[in-house]
Amino acid sequence: MQCGWPLLGPLRWISYVNKQVKVKAGKDAEHRGWLMTVDPVSSSLVLVTFREGGGASVQVVMGHAVEEVQVLQEADEETTERLQASFLSPQTCRLDQ
Amino acid sequence: SWRSSAAPPSERPGERRAAEMKKLYGEDAPKILAMEAAMQLTFDRNCDLKQPKYWPVIPLKL
Amino acid sequence: SIPTSAASEEDAELLSEEQHARSVLRESFLRCLLSMTNKKVQFNMYEKVKVEATFGASDIDVLNFQVSDLHTPIGVQKEALIRCRDVISFTFDI
Repeated sequence: MQCGWPLLGPLRWISYVNKQVKVKAGKDAEHRGWLMTVDPVSSSLVLVTFREGGGASVQVVMGHAVEEVQVLQEADEETTERLQASFLSPQTCRLDQ
Repeated sequence: SWRSSAAPPSERPGERRAAEMKKLYGEDAPKILAMEAAMQLTFDRNCDLKQPKYWPVIPLKL
Repeated sequence: SIPTSAASEEDAELLSEEQHARSVLRESFLRCLLSMTNKKVQFNMYEKVKVEATFGASDIDVLNFQVSDLHTPIGVQKEALIRCRDVISFTFDI
């Protein structure tokens, strides 16, 4: 996929969800992670990287900066569940951290 | 003139937005509309309260 | 050729699939933004600018982020707005 990322539309974007992707954005920055969602308004990608021993790091790549999105692999069932629960767990609702 | 009329213009912004949302999100439109309204309210309230200034002053990317 | 009625039925089905996909994607994204409230976020911006701030809120069109305690190269700005157009990516922990 090249350049036309913001124009792909919801049905194409959703086909990238739950896949591990490599995103080229900006000049030469590269981002990797499990794709959790794509904002249909800004076409921004939400990538999650799980850390060993719990927790995760989230990278949001702005749609306007995307140059290339490459699929590396599909998530297994466990990863999919973990991924989709990322923003629903009570831990992320805490406001004091 | 607009002053003398209590009635809003025939096409109200809220209605138009609801129609656009319906076209974009179908039957889920009310849910998304509600989530967005709450988020925009937080943003507007924070801006009123904190009066943030743009950083950087000049955009990096035009 | 396909009769008009069948074609429009297919169109309607495609439209509703697209609407459903859009709402699933959007809801997850809004939840992601909400989960960022009061979290430390690192912004990776154009011109190799990297800054850290405490996230406040985003407008719904994803044009501006309202942040606090923005650590700029020349000091801390207590309250700031970041233009999303200036941003390449941003990172936070959950």
